[in-house]
Amino acid sequence: MKVDLDKKFELPASLRWLSAILGALVTGGVLLALVGANPVTAYVEMVQGTFGSLFDLSLVLTEMVPLVIIGLGLLIAFRARIWNIGAEGQYMFGALLGGAFALHAPLGTPFLAVPAVLVVGACAGALWGLLVALARVRWQVNEVISSLLLNYVAVFVFAYAVRKPLRDPGGFKPTSERIPDQFELADFPVDEIRVHIGIILALLLVPVVGFLVNRSPFGLRATMFGMNPEAAQAAGVNTSRMTVRIMLLSGAFAGLAGIVQVLGSEFRLSNNLATGYGFTAIVVALISRLRPVGVVIAAALLGALTLGGDVIQRTQQVPRVLTMVIQAIFVLFLLLADRRRGEQ
Amino acid sequence: MDWSDVFGGAALIPLLNAGIRLAIPTGLAAVGESFCQRAGVLNLSLEGMMLTGALTAYLGAYYSGALWVGVPAGIGGGLLVGVLMALFTLQFKTEQVINGIVLVLLAQAGTSFAFAKLFGDLTLTGRFEPMRNWEIPGLSSIPGVGAVLFDQSPLVYLSVVLIWGIWYLLNRTTFGLAVRAVGDRPAAADAAGISVNGTRWIAILVSGAMAGLGGTVLVVGQLGMFMENVTAGRGWVAIALVIFGRWRPLRVMAGALLFGITDAIQLRIQAAGGGIESNVPFELFQAMPYLVTIAVVIFATARARRSGEPEALGRPFFKGAQIET
Repeated sequence: MKVDLDKKFELPASLRWLSAILGALVTGGVLLALVGANPVTAYVEMVQGTFGSLFDLSLVLTEMVPLVIIGLGLLIAFRARIWNIGAEGQYMFGALLGGAFALHAPLGTPFLAVPAVLVVGACAGALWGLLVALARVRWQVNEVISSLLLNYVAVFVFAYAVRKPLRDPGGFKPTSERIPDQFELADFPVDEIRVHIGIILALLLVPVVGFLVNRSPFGLRATMFGMNPEAAQAAGVNTSRMTVRIMLLSGAFAGLAGIVQVLGSEFRLSNNLATGYGFTAIVVALISRLRPVGVVIAAALLGALTLGGDVIQRTQQVPRVLTMVIQAIFVLFLLLADRRRGEQ
Repeated sequence: MDWSDVFGGAALIPLLNAGIRLAIPTGLAAVGESFCQRAGVLNLSLEGMMLTGALTAYLGAYYSGALWVGVPAGIGGGLLVGVLMALFTLQFKTEQVINGIVLVLLAQAGTSFAFAKLFGDLTLTGRFEPMRNWEIPGLSSIPGVGAVLFDQSPLVYLSVVLIWGIWYLLNRTTFGLAVRAVGDRPAAADAAGISVNGTRWIAILVSGAMAGLGGTVLVVGQLGMFMENVTAGRGWVAIALVIFGRWRPLRVMAGALLFGITDAIQLRIQAAGGGIESNVPFELFQAMPYLVTIAVVIFATARARRSGEPEALGRPFFKGAQIET
C-alpha cells in the first residue's frame, strides 16, 4: 500500500480535471492562433453562442440528449473494463429498427406508441451489442475490434434500408417518410426554448444508472469484474454472463439514444443521424471519470463545445472539427493528470 | 446488373490484380501491428497512424508535385502518431486501450481539421493522378499470373519487400528474438539485459512507419486524393487480421489478401450495379469486407490449437515491480 504515501502529493481530482481542460483549451487556443483566428475572441464567441441565451442553451440541451444516454451506457461497460466502442453502430441500429416500427406499427395514442417504440429501439441496440458479447465470450474476440467493425456494418445496413425498403417514394434524397405525429417527442411548450422532452428521459436515467452501478449487487460485481476478472470469477461471478449483460445494457442505451434522436430531433430515418455521437460519447464517458453525474457535466461541456464549433466556423472561418481536436486533447491531458504515481 | 462483370472469366484477372492492390495498405498496417504486438504492446492507434500517414503523404505529394515525396512524408505521419502512442503507453504508462482509441479520435479530428483548413470545405479538391504501374519486363507477360502479380504500382513491390523484411527481422535476427522475449516474458528479458521499454519503443515506431506507409499507398498509389476518414476503418481491420494470422506476419498478410479480394469484389459490384435507384443492395456488399473480417477472426480463433497470443500483450512493464502489489 505504498500508493497512499504518494497520494499525499497529488492534486485533488477536481483540480486535475480543471488543469486538464485548461491544458486542452490552451492547446486549442494555440491551434486557433495558428490558423489565423483570435483565440480569445473565438472562445468568447463560443460561450456567448452556447450559453448566451435561453434559446442557445436549449440547443445545448438537445445536443446533450444522445450524449448523456449513450455515455451512461458506456459508463456501465467501461466500469467493467469492457471497451465497447461500437456505440455508433448500436445507436444506428436502434434508430433503424425503432424507426421502422414507428413507420409501420398501427399504434394510435402517444401513451402507447412512444414507449413501445423506445423499447424496440433499445432492444435493437442491445441486439447489436449482444453480437459483440457473444464473439468475446464464445471465441475470445477482442470487443474493441468487433464492436468497431460492426459500426460500419450498421451504417451500411442503415444506408440500404433508407435507400430501398424504407425509402420515401416521393423524396429526392434517400430518407424515410416522416414518422407519424403520435410518435414524436414533444418540445417544451415555451417559445424561446427548443428542446424536446427526451432530455427529461436522459436526466431520469442518471440516478437509475447511479443506483445500478453504485448500489446494486450487479454494479458491485461488474466493478469487481473490471478490476480483476480472475478474482471476480473466484468470488462466484459468472464472467460470461456478466459480459453479455453489460453489452446488452450498453447497447440498449445506445439504441435508445438512436430512437430518441429519431423521435425528438430528426423525425425521419436519414443518413444524417450518423453524426458520430457514438464516438463523442466515448469521450464523454472517459472524462466523466465513470460517474453518472460526471456524464451529465461532460455531455454539457462537449455538447456546448460542438455547437461552439459551429459558431466559430461561421464567425472565424475555423473548421468546426477543431472542437473535436480539443476534446481528444482534453482526454489525453486528463490521462496524464490522472496517472497513478505509485506505478512509476 | 450483369454478374459476369464481377465474376466472369474476363473479369477475374483484373479482380485479382485489384485484390492485391487493395490488400497492401491494410496488409502493411497489419504486419507492422503484429510486430508491435509481439513486443507486448496492444497498439489500437493503428487507424490513426494510417490516417495521419495518408494525410501527410497526400500533402507531400500534392505540394511537391512529386509522388515519391509522399512516401517519406506518409511514413513520417505514421511515426508522429507512433511517438505519441509510445509516450503515453511506455513513458506515462496510461491505459493502453484508451491511449489507442483516443489517438484514433485525435487523428480523425486532426486530419479533418488540417485538410479542411488547407483545402476549404471537405470537398474533393486537389486530385492528382496516382502513381503509375510498373510492368516488370518478362515476368508481366507470363499468362494470367503476370497480369495479376507483375503489373502493379512500385509501392506494391516495395511493400512486399518490407513485409518480408518484417518477417525476417522478427524470426531470423537477434533483435527479433529480443522483441519476442519482451512480448512473452518481459521480466526475463529484462533480467537478460534487454531494455523492455526501449524494444517496445522501436516496435511501436515500426508499426507507425508501416501503417503510415499503408496510408501512403492508399492515397498516393491508388486514390490520388484525400478525404475525411479516407482509411475507412482499415486500421481496425488490420488489428483483426493480426488475430486471424495468430501474430505471424506472413499469415497476417494472407488475411490481408482475403480482405483485399473481398474489397475488390464489392467495389466491382458497386460499379456494376451502382446508382441511387439501383435494385442491387450494394450497401450490403460494402459491409462485406468488415463482416468477412469478423467472420475469419472467429473462424481462426475457434480453430486455433494454441492461442499464439504474446503472453504479456497489453500489460505495461514496471522495472523491478514484481514485489509490489
